[in-house]
Amino acid sequence: MTDITLTTTSAPKTGPFAILLAASRHPLLSHAKVRLALLILIPILVLTILAPVLPIQKPLETNLRAMMQFPSIEHVFGTDKMGRDIFSRTLAGVQISLLVGFSVASIALTFGMVLGTLAGFYGGWLDRAIMTVVDIFLAFPSLLLAIGLVSVMGTGIVPVIFAISLADVPRFIRLQRSQVLSLRSRAFIDAARTVDASQYWLMTRHIVPNTIAPMLVAASIAAANAILVEASLSFLGLGIMPPQPSLGNIVRDGQTYLEQAWWISTLPGVVILLIAIGLHFLSDGVRELLDPRSH
Amino acid sequence: MNYQAPVKTTLLEVRDLRTQFQTASGTVKAVDGVSFTIERGERLAVVGESGSGKSAMAMSILRLLTHPGRVVGGEILLDGRDISRLSEGQLNTVRGRLVGTVFQDPMSSLDPVMRISRQMIEPIMRNLRLNRDQARAEAIKWLDKVGIPEPERRIEAYPFEMSGGMRQRVMIAMALASRPQLVIADEPTTALDVTIQAQIVEVLKTLTAEAGSAMMFITHDLGLVARFAHKVAVMYAGRIVEFGRVEDIFANPAHPYTQSLLGTIPSTTMLKSERLPQISGLPPDMRHEITGCAFKDRCAAAHDRCLAEAPRLTDRGHEHTAACWTPHGLEQALATGQQHATRLNKPFEPDGSVVVELNALRKQFATSRKMVVRAVNGVNLRVHKGETLGIVGESGCGKSTVARMLLGLERPTSGDIFIAGLAQMVFQDPAASFNPKMTIGDIVAEPLVVKSRGSKAERLDTVKRLISQVGLDPAFVERYPHQLSGGQRQRVAVARALALNPSVVVADEPTSALDVSVRAQIINLLVDLKEELGISFVFISHDLLTVRYISDRIAVMYLGEVVEYGAAEEVFADPRHPYTRALIDAVPVPDPVVESRRAATPLQGELPSPLNLPKGCAFASRCPMATDRCRAEKPALPDHDLSRQVACHYAH
Amino acid sequence: MAEYTAKKLVQMLITVLGVITLVFFTLRLIPGDAASAMAGDTLSGEALQALREQMGLDEPLVNQYLGFLRDLVTVDLGETITTRIPIAELLLRALPITLSIALATIVLSILISIPLGTLAAFMAHKGRNWLDNGLTGAAMIIDLMPSFWMALVLLLIFSLGLGWFPASGQLNWSDPWALVLRLALPVIVLSLSQVATLARITRTAVLEVLNEDYVRTARSMGWSELRVLFRHALKNAALPIATVVGLSFGNLLGGTVIVEFIFTIPGVGNLLISGINSRDYQLVQTLIVFYALLFVVINFATDLIYKTLDPRVQF
Repeated sequence: MTDITLTTTSAPKTGPFAILLAASRHPLLSHAKVRLALLILIPILVLTILAPVLPIQKPLETNLRAMMQFPSIEHVFGTDKMGRDIFSRTLAGVQISLLVGFSVASIALTFGMVLGTLAGFYGGWLDRAIMTVVDIFLAFPSLLLAIGLVSVMGTGIVPVIFAISLADVPRFIRLQRSQVLSLRSRAFIDAARTVDASQYWLMTRHIVPNTIAPMLVAASIAAANAILVEASLSFLGLGIMPPQPSLGNIVRDGQTYLEQAWWISTLPGVVILLIAIGLHFLSDGVRELLDPRSH
Repeated sequence: MNYQAPVKTTLLEVRDLRTQFQTASGTVKAVDGVSFTIERGERLAVVGESGSGKSAMAMSILRLLTHPGRVVGGEILLDGRDISRLSEGQLNTVRGRLVGTVFQDPMSSLDPVMRISRQMIEPIMRNLRLNRDQARAEAIKWLDKVGIPEPERRIEAYPFEMSGGMRQRVMIAMALASRPQLVIADEPTTALDVTIQAQIVEVLKTLTAEAGSAMMFITHDLGLVARFAHKVAVMYAGRIVEFGRVEDIFANPAHPYTQSLLGTIPSTTMLKSERLPQISGLPPDMRHEITGCAFKDRCAAAHDRCLAEAPRLTDRGHEHTAACWTPHGLEQALATGQQHATRLNKPFEPDGSVVVELNALRKQFATSRKMVVRAVNGVNLRVHKGETLGIVGESGCGKSTVARMLLGLERPTSGDIFIAGLAQMVFQDPAASFNPKMTIGDIVAEPLVVKSRGSKAERLDTVKRLISQVGLDPAFVERYPHQLSGGQRQRVAVARALALNPSVVVADEPTSALDVSVRAQIINLLVDLKEELGISFVFISHDLLTVRYISDRIAVMYLGEVVEYGAAEEVFADPRHPYTRALIDAVPVPDPVVESRRAATPLQGELPSPLNLPKGCAFASRCPMATDRCRAEKPALPDHDLSRQVACHYAH
Repeated sequence: MAEYTAKKLVQMLITVLGVITLVFFTLRLIPGDAASAMAGDTLSGEALQALREQMGLDEPLVNQYLGFLRDLVTVDLGETITTRIPIAELLLRALPITLSIALATIVLSILISIPLGTLAAFMAHKGRNWLDNGLTGAAMIIDLMPSFWMALVLLLIFSLGLGWFPASGQLNWSDPWALVLRLALPVIVLSLSQVATLARITRTAVLEVLNEDYVRTARSMGWSELRVLFRHALKNAALPIATVVGLSFGNLLGGTVIVEFIFTIPGVGNLLISGINSRDYQLVQTLIVFYALLFVVINFATDLIYKTLDPRVQF
């Protein structure tokens, strides 16, 4: 069988190029805000992943002949007091930031969805129990809750992720619960109940699918927020501890030399801001795309 | 109705008014060249469906539109002065003083955090140049006039402490207190119950007549038009398509749209064997340029000229104008009303088998403060096979709670429910009754999947069959709810209700969220299905004319109880309970002759709180013929088996 | 109103009890116990045991809990472990500083954000979007900036570069002008993010209210646009604004910790960080409870304000 139609004009139907081409036509990518977000996030992500093979100094490598150097081709973000390359350290810090952001968003999303759905759907004592605990957690200003928790659990990436998540999970529970409550009284739930659909059916078919989009939006905001909180904790000396670089502790290191070498503190901060802006546009764009009113 | 305007001088003259909305998807010409006049003291009704531009037109007169709406052309002469050229500051001396306005939704039209006194007194002080005490006295006087009990006390209330009807009375008092020459009322009764609607219309009519004010009344309800308008303007797609005196419009409508619209409302004498005339299709998308007549796609009389050229209003004699190329519109199809398409004449014959039986059904809801709302208070009802039972009553009478118990969505507090087979439901709001994440196919198939009926392929066949049965293209299975119009969604809702071959379908206000022209389509569908499939229906509605048309039997509910039950025609022709009589009296009939003969005494008062029900007859507080016996002793509904039951001590 | 206040008060007390309980038990979750964590490797067995006794860690859990509660109620906050200064005294010294910063921030940000947000909404309502777009964009950027970084950049420019404000130094309460200059940058940093939040919510709330039917009613009565804006729109928009002011106070408290650290201001925030660094759990737990109490009380006050603004609120 040689049933192949050769058309010279059409692009190849398989291969990475075609897949990219097809993906670029996806409605998600035609949205201006999503495009802008990816324009910011993808280069940062690529650089972070490629950091080990890039021709730059390793993050922990010191060079006493090149201390506190102004940004140059060789040291894009300059160097610090021990001659370490700030750009390389920043990329290592971004790695931590992204890990924290992604972990916190996943943890908050998972626990928020499960507990919020249970509380909203079943009501009664379960709801009261969950919401009482949630209210107690919400009584702490979130940064202070995180500070309190790392003070008990110690520094390092795992306690930081845990502490930030614990401040976010109650907010996610509350959001999910309020969504479930408003969905529970909708007429399509009644319609399913008239044919004796099981509770499991109602939850998995009608309630949860309608809550996912707003929760994903909240999760991407939470990721941006977690990155900022991790940076703040590390800046205060309570998060990721040197010598391991994180965006917050690089800024902290540079604080002492602000007058002599302003780039040590300011440039990594720009990167944090860029990541946060990227995530913000991503969530904004996704929300607009998922909102039926915007069509 | 022999209307003679007292002095024929023009109060308002609108010339070629154009209003546009600049939206992302194009310019909407909401009002596209509207001209008309209102004489002093005259009541003009502006009729049209949603999207016809009637509200935009009314709001354009006082420039109350907000961005992106804008008046782009035309003249508005009030008492000879062109108010469309006035500055905002100058226009503010017209607004509220020369022209008063009453809006549609009384629940949102008053400032929620301000007492009535503050909202009322200051405009009176400004407009009538009174001091605070005088203005207060004036405000109280008007509250009394519009029928607010204890106005001295109620003037200090917040809006949330009042019912919708009371709030609308306050709005009317606010609009009238400055003695305006013109009152613009934008669907002032749409959000209200039929008995309250009758009261509000009466108040508006009496008080404007007393003050000699003219009125422009925007509505989609032709019955209301017949009740009190002198003249009628029918709007379609941003233009007036017909204008004339109310008698002429109802007796000799000239535009096919007016003719069809009048036809879609079931009359009080219409037989069930007659099919309700319906307007097919949907109004045009106003974002696009319309070539030719805007109604051409839905018009049976459309011809070549209609496609190419938009008709202008032409004289049809006696101040009557219509915008149609044909001289008499759809004259062949609808001239007399006798030529309604008839169905296979299959009168209802009970074979005796009972499909639904409710015995001493009660439902109580505990409110937060240890008080109990008796939503349903001892209801006995039967529905036979192939029969349609209509349940009517004001909101809060318990009719929807009965429906929810029938479907197992609420558990009765006491009493029992017997259903032979399965009950299914068609909900009121076609927008909320579907999961927006599911396709139409999945929605209709859901009952089958839950009950594990058939294989996937068999289910798809069933779904496609059901979708064509309700008059939709089977290709709809792949669409999502938001891609459908309201009428189409309601058809899908019917298809879903039929999926499991139910013995009874409960329809709770299935047409009230739909436009007038689409309602008839759904009513006809339900009647056809009943005849085809022999299913029983429970049809719940506040629209009495539709209930009469569609139902075999009617149950009238008041405060959780059935007060009258019987065959639909009988109950309508000879209502025995005073409440039924009042309800039927309140229904506006689209016939000015009938309306003018009617005594103008609508049912007084509002539904009492179901928190503490009276010991005697629940209706005694509003009943014109209540006696001490009624207040002491509760009249019981006689036995189940009677074909006519009335819960009144004095029913004949 | 009295009944409403009582009910909210009870709710608040329950939350406070929950907060205290949570803090207490979280501290007992420290691996080993607070005493050994605190001592690190510095203390031998006997000394450690003494420390335990001093901290009351040898008593049964219930007694410890009740003791903790009793101490809080009687404001017997104990002493710092290392310097032996009464915690209450430290707190009293630091609190006025932190509260001054917080109060100045709230006043400043309300004074800026409400007119700004209202103006943006008013113009957007009439189809002129430039201020709205500018405000929304700027608010977004500020919101997404790490506040410590923003503080450093401002410090770099205005203190180190232009020399307008002192970057450090003693707080001199007897020289008000010097005090203002010393606290100006911290307050500006905190206000920027507060303004970003409040101006945005004001803009949204006012814009929403301007589209309400009762605004149209007021216009139809012949009131001017400005009168409608002030008499109706702002009064109704105050409801969501009040809620957000209350909630954003939590972020503000977090922010004070960071600016106090950067600008070396001896407030409660710096006390907290020094407590953590010296592993003084007694101090840390007291301060965390204190912050939570402050936030809870502010939210209680917000509820009461809301109730006076909105007659519809039942419970």
